[in-house]
Amino acid sequence: MLSPEILITILIYGGTLGGVLALLSSGFTMIFGVVRILNMAHGAFFATGAYIAYTIVASLGTAPVFATALAAILVGAIGAAMYRALLAHIKRLEATVIIVTLALALILEQLLLIRFGEHGLNLSPIVAGVVEIFTIPISAIRVLALAFSVVTLALLAVFITRTRTGKEIVAASQNLEGAVIIGLHIEKLFLLSVFISSVLAGLGGALYAQVYGVNPFLVLRVLVLAFAIVIFGGLGSLKGSVVASFIMGYIIILVTMLLGARWSEMVALMTIIAVLVIRPNGLFGVRD
Amino acid sequence: MLYTSYALSEKISGTATRRNVLKYAATAVVVGVVAGVGGYGVGSTAVQPQTITKTERVTQTVGGVTTVTQTVGTTVVQTATVTVTPTKPKPSPPPGRTEVKIGVLAPLAAREGKVQENAARLAVEEINAAGGILGLPVKLVVADDKLSADTAVAEFRRLVTVEKVDVITGGFSSGVMTATMEPMAELKTIFFADASSPAHSRKVGSNYEKYKYWFRITQNNGITFALDGAEQIDYLRKKGVSIDKVYLIRDEHVWVDEWEPLLTKLLTERKVEIVKSVKIPRGFTEYEPLILEAARLGAQAIFMALAISGTGDVLAKQWATLRQPLLLIGHDLAAIDLGYWDKTGGAGEYVIFMADGGVVGTAPPTDIAKKFIDNYTKKYGYPPEAHQGFGAYDAVYLYKKVVEEAALAGEKNPFDSDTLVPYIERYTYNNPFVWTRKVAFYPKGSWGPDGTRTDHDLIWGDDYVKNWMSQWQGGKQMVLHPDWLKNADLKLPPWLR
Repeated sequence: MLSPEILITILIYGGTLGGVLALLSSGFTMIFGVVRILNMAHGAFFATGAYIAYTIVASLGTAPVFATALAAILVGAIGAAMYRALLAHIKRLEATVIIVTLALALILEQLLLIRFGEHGLNLSPIVAGVVEIFTIPISAIRVLALAFSVVTLALLAVFITRTRTGKEIVAASQNLEGAVIIGLHIEKLFLLSVFISSVLAGLGGALYAQVYGVNPFLVLRVLVLAFAIVIFGGLGSLKGSVVASFIMGYIIILVTMLLGARWSEMVALMTIIAVLVIRPNGLFGVRD
Repeated sequence: MLYTSYALSEKISGTATRRNVLKYAATAVVVGVVAGVGGYGVGSTAVQPQTITKTERVTQTVGGVTTVTQTVGTTVVQTATVTVTPTKPKPSPPPGRTEVKIGVLAPLAAREGKVQENAARLAVEEINAAGGILGLPVKLVVADDKLSADTAVAEFRRLVTVEKVDVITGGFSSGVMTATMEPMAELKTIFFADASSPAHSRKVGSNYEKYKYWFRITQNNGITFALDGAEQIDYLRKKGVSIDKVYLIRDEHVWVDEWEPLLTKLLTERKVEIVKSVKIPRGFTEYEPLILEAARLGAQAIFMALAISGTGDVLAKQWATLRQPLLLIGHDLAAIDLGYWDKTGGAGEYVIFMADGGVVGTAPPTDIAKKFIDNYTKKYGYPPEAHQGFGAYDAVYLYKKVVEEAALAGEKNPFDSDTLVPYIERYTYNNPFVWTRKVAFYPKGSWGPDGTRTDHDLIWGDDYVKNWMSQWQGGKQMVLHPDWLKNADLKLPPWLR
């Protein structure tokens, strides 16, 4: 029987972890849902966001909140540049896209290793200290990271469902040929989608570094995590990714608290496999 | 018996004082030289017999309990036989030999490997500048084991059979080391080794003739982390910190499996309960729920056994943020790294850790250690980036020393590994090779605190090499214990005071 204290701890910590994972996975699923490319460099963008924020704070002495925002925008620009320079020309070749983006991820990882070394770095949090929720102490930056995630994802939902450009992106993701026929500027929409996707990754990375820390090996680690989550949620489904992120967050914390930390990610991944056996297209995926 | 360290104090009284004996010795030397005493034998001069009253004090620690035995007033007769330094010309190397080759086999992409190459190179340069070994120039040959057992085995063979090195120093990964010991045994090559797994010295113990060429020079057998852990508890209690419950966070890896049972036993003897032992996977970062659980279970300290996870810095950061009434103690490889302070954004302050390898930069245990750190920093632009550097540096100089001793003793081939093993083994209890550390090896047939063999491991103890109890204070690694080395007192986190 779970004590109320343990239950509250699981609820709070699972939620905050799920929030950061949602930022990571929603960008990954968005670029697939709209542009139909599997961006294997997404994890690299996540880590790059953290390192850019760190560099801005360390070299310019900027407040972490500005560094976080600036890092997210810069990673968005990097993603857009990558799309324009490379992916736009090869996006029809699925295997080529996977290889090219994976190669980019490894190059970025190597560059981070050369520039920052193999050891982790700490990014000063936007807010320091601890807040108590139902008597459970929790670091303030975790709560803020969850708030950032919720607000960002809510804004994304509003943008997609309420704005003309957002609706055009949805239209393009649902029926590319139809979108072309009605005269939508597809390339512009793709570029914007890649930019937004990369911004989400950069923001997630900058926040992650404040809660935990960052090292170059995150590039591949979070890629695997993001991949697993979006498949779990349903490839291309934004709602599915967000729900799957929170389920993943809760499973990791629940298992850490009840079974032991050693089983946390393993149980989470086994759950995903079990769900996919029953629902091969994921929680919110649709059959092709 | 866990370990024995000796502090021998001698008081000379009666008709002979220490100064007098020295005076007689000096006189004898002068007389000997003037009289033309020389040759390669031992010259001696007898002086008047002197009566000496000797007080011997032996400190012995068994299982963490220290007993002091003092023998007072043993009267001995000092015949004052004085050995005169031989004046025979320096021994020459075997005919046909033109150089000495020292091999380094380490993971060069990792700082723990690169530092070994750098340190060995510095030692070789210094030795060559001072005339080499037996007058021969020394050449360094470096190979990368790439943290792969296959590569390490192949490179060990290449170093010995192709490059013709005389001795090898290096290693890092315990798994790689286990594999590398096979070509070492086959090729009968002295191997001054890193890595901490007890399995290595057990191999020496199980088949001495085969594996006797292996000497663990960089750090103590990993089993000793349990002894260090128990000492941390003793120290904290001595400083008035009440500890009867600890929460263990440990790597899910065999290196901790080796010593956790002994730690549990030692803590139980001290009436300290391990309220929970949590195994974490590589890359784990969700420490905050564990910290809260530790506090909830009433632990006064979180005891770390972290290396493979690679995220000890994240634990420190979250521990400092939550400010629960817990100390952070134990062993964390990340805390030994000089970059730990930056990595944790200063959150590493107050973390108590074990400094592997026997040297902390702010409190060098010997003058040579201090010089080495200075010279290394001057040459490479930064201080030794990992403790393995001290082992590699000592290894090169120890090899030089034993080769010269073997030559001095008239050995036909002072570079032969079989010849050199007994010379290296002479550096044991009461006769350490004092270089950057006091290097001494357990003799053949030694048994460790866990009941397994420890042949050719570094002797663990305050007077030898130990994982010094240290604490991060003000951005620096400071030594808390033992007293002869400490450069700081314990500082408790403000949320515990």
